[in-house]
Amino acid sequence: MTRIITSLVLFICSWAFSQSSATSSPYEQGMGKAMGLWKEGKSAEATAIFERIASVEKTNWLPNYYVAFINTVEVFKLQDKSKASALLDKAQQALDNATAVSQNNPELMVVQALIYTAYIVQDPMTNGMKYSSKAMEQYYKAQALAPENPRVVFSKAEFEIGGAKYWGTDTKPMCAEVERSIGLFAKFKPETAFHPSWGLERAKELLANCGK
Amino acid sequence: MKPLFSLLLFLCSMNLFSQATISGKVSDHKGKPVEGANVFIEGAYDGATSDVNGDFSFTTSEKGNQILVITFLSFETQKVSIVIENYKPQTIKLKESVNTLDAVVISAGTFKAGDNSKAAALKPLDIVTTAGAAGDIIGALQTLPGAQIVGESGRLFVRGGESDETQTYVDGIRVAQPYNATANNIPTRGRFSPFLFSGMTFSTGGYSAEFGDALSSVLLLNTINEVDNEQSNFSFMTVGLGASNVQKWKKSSLSVNLSYINLEPYQKVVKQNVDWVKPYQSMSGETVFRQGFNNGLFKFYAAFDYTTFNLNQKNVNFSEPINVDTQNNNFYTNASYKGNFGAGWGIHGGISFGYSQNKNEIDRSNLKNRENASHMKLKLTKKFSDRVHLAFGGDYFITDFDENYNDITLGEFKDGYYNNITAVYVETDIFFSKKLAAKVGLRALNSSYINESSIEPRISLAYKTSKNGQVSLAYGDFHQNPVQNYLKFNSDFNYEKTSHYILNYMYAVNGRTLRAEAFYKDYSDLVKYDTYTPLFNSNYNNNGYGYAKGLDVFWRDNKTVKHLDYWISYSYIDSKRDYKNYETSVTPSFVANHTLSVVTKYWIEDWKSQLSITNSFATGRPYDNPNETAFMNAKAKDYNSLSMSWAYLLSPQKILYFSISNVLGRDNIFGYDYALSPDSDGVYQRQAITQPADRFFFIGFFWTISKDKSKNQLDNL
Repeated sequence: MTRIITSLVLFICSWAFSQSSATSSPYEQGMGKAMGLWKEGKSAEATAIFERIASVEKTNWLPNYYVAFINTVEVFKLQDKSKASALLDKAQQALDNATAVSQNNPELMVVQALIYTAYIVQDPMTNGMKYSSKAMEQYYKAQALAPENPRVVFSKAEFEIGGAKYWGTDTKPMCAEVERSIGLFAKFKPETAFHPSWGLERAKELLANCGK
Repeated sequence: MKPLFSLLLFLCSMNLFSQATISGKVSDHKGKPVEGANVFIEGAYDGATSDVNGDFSFTTSEKGNQILVITFLSFETQKVSIVIENYKPQTIKLKESVNTLDAVVISAGTFKAGDNSKAAALKPLDIVTTAGAAGDIIGALQTLPGAQIVGESGRLFVRGGESDETQTYVDGIRVAQPYNATANNIPTRGRFSPFLFSGMTFSTGGYSAEFGDALSSVLLLNTINEVDNEQSNFSFMTVGLGASNVQKWKKSSLSVNLSYINLEPYQKVVKQNVDWVKPYQSMSGETVFRQGFNNGLFKFYAAFDYTTFNLNQKNVNFSEPINVDTQNNNFYTNASYKGNFGAGWGIHGGISFGYSQNKNEIDRSNLKNRENASHMKLKLTKKFSDRVHLAFGGDYFITDFDENYNDITLGEFKDGYYNNITAVYVETDIFFSKKLAAKVGLRALNSSYINESSIEPRISLAYKTSKNGQVSLAYGDFHQNPVQNYLKFNSDFNYEKTSHYILNYMYAVNGRTLRAEAFYKDYSDLVKYDTYTPLFNSNYNNNGYGYAKGLDVFWRDNKTVKHLDYWISYSYIDSKRDYKNYETSVTPSFVANHTLSVVTKYWIEDWKSQLSITNSFATGRPYDNPNETAFMNAKAKDYNSLSMSWAYLLSPQKILYFSISNVLGRDNIFGYDYALSPDSDGVYQRQAITQPADRFFFIGFFWTISKDKSKNQLDNL
């Protein structure tokens, strides 16, 4: 009798657990929580969770993608520039890990280009020439792989607007690209809820001021 | 039934409570709490972020042996082995990462120019946009402290050392003939176009045990590892034409660079102080092929150069000028591989071959020489941790030199030598903390031709004194084979020797850099001979000696004034030596006591132009006046040269470039040549050693064609 009850208890307990994990696996819980924190602006906490997930999900490029992306975006917001190189190192490391498991991934190329852009912003005189061609190379590669990816189209146009403004050349063709990207954002369906889907807001913002 | 349900619930929650709590504290090496560190179990989702007191706590259902990982920005990632069931709260101390930008760097003696290099004083771009340098790497390095301005030579003279005391390396492999062919007292240029190099290290002393056979200095040039994209460049210059092309494949790339220089049209328009019969003409090319592998990079570099010129040089000993006709063929190639093979091991190996042939016709006499030189290198590195690196390896140098002199009256003379140098070295870099680091090395060498061996200790220490300042100390012994001019006549020599003592202070903050370096160099065993020039029948010995001591100061600032970047170099040197055929120990003719260079670059946004002004000043250098009894007692007048350049970006891919060196047309006199014998009045007549032309004008148009429209040749100017 005791035996039957014990096995029954164990069975029910494990069933209860398997139920809870079926609705939401630790991966999904973690990713969901991290993305929530990130949206709330708690980027350090979010990165910490993405980093933990990356230590489990070794063949999944997404957690490292977010570690790289969030650290890079942080650099653009920095007041104190002394932290920039540490953040960019961290971003590059995470991106390298992601690229190792997902080659020829246009989303990762966009982040690589953003890392280069961050270097340019830190010290335009020194890094401008070198990194701008490196960044463009990433965009060309990404464009060849995914001409309809809205983040590729938008980020490339945004980067080119920066250069065109400097040279005083016409930004109209880039603005048209930004506009095209907005259309593409509407059509774009991320593979899962955790796949990259950012960019629409920024594209709209940029378009509003484009060519002005 | 109800009790059974309660039991079930209880047992289920028991299962939940079987989770263990992992808690503790994260602090830095001083015990200060670290907030925001990520603490987690490797391979599990369980973890937490440390709070403002450094405390962390989380639960885990993992069991048994696990690894606790703690990561935090700018700190080394720490891994702690734990057993969940036995876990007791603990304090984890993080070590600051020594790879961060604000960590101490071993910097005594070196100037680096390179990508994000921590000790970078100059960037490659700076080297090539410096007015007065005329795109010559060596010319730009002469604006750094420690280098002397020796206008009649154009070579690098470092801290009281002769130009032969500097060795040049490309990708770690020695270049036996780094300078273009030239005639006596006509300045030369370095062979390398800045175009193909991304990193440069100019060491003015106390350098690593990896390098040897150089008493004063090493210049390390590294070719670009990775090209950005395919492009073609065309240069149209008042002195010639240039073209280059870059091809890129998936894991490999090829750069080819060709140039044709002919000074004839230019010299027809601009008056020269030298009587050129056939002005300088050269055809040269360089190529770099790179092949990437998963764990390494193979590079192949080759350069050729064919130069001719013919000029009539006045000589104080003869009423008629002496005709000099020169042809030089030079070929240099090297292949190197640099890579990793796991567990922190790295390998860097390579081989070079250099061939140089000179044919000089001096009046009706013939001087031909030929040199074959090779360097084989193997270096292994092991990274035990971020804090301890070890490097060891060996070098094998071969030099085969032949000379044939055919004098119209004296007949034919032949000389030459064959020398092998074998060297082994070991060196370790230790970071005791983010503040204190040391580099300790030892090099042993043997030269077959002079049949001598030696051991050279090298040591440097660096200590960070404040957030932005650091002090470095360096000591090293350096040996070098006597120069070619002696070796070709005699093999009974010792090594020439120096010891370097260096004290360096560096302060860098937000776009401003101050670097001050005091040095003392002790020379011994320098070669002496007893004739007017070294000859086959001279008596040679190693009894020469000397010293050099001084202070180098470098200040650079690109923040104070927007778009203005400038640097100031000042060198003070006191040096004397008794060598060659000197009567006593005196300051040699290539040493100026004070040298001051001011380099400015101003970017004018509205004009899309970079304006660069360089002023170089040096106090007069000594020369010997045989009309006076005291040896080397006279001094030439001070040297000053003001140069300007203007780069105008017509569009992102088209650049117009103007430059004028010595704008003021100052008649600089470097020294005097005296007659070998006095004239009928008992006076030794003299002739001034001057600049080949008062000013040098340059106009160039540079055009880049590439898919990426932002690329241009600004970094090549």
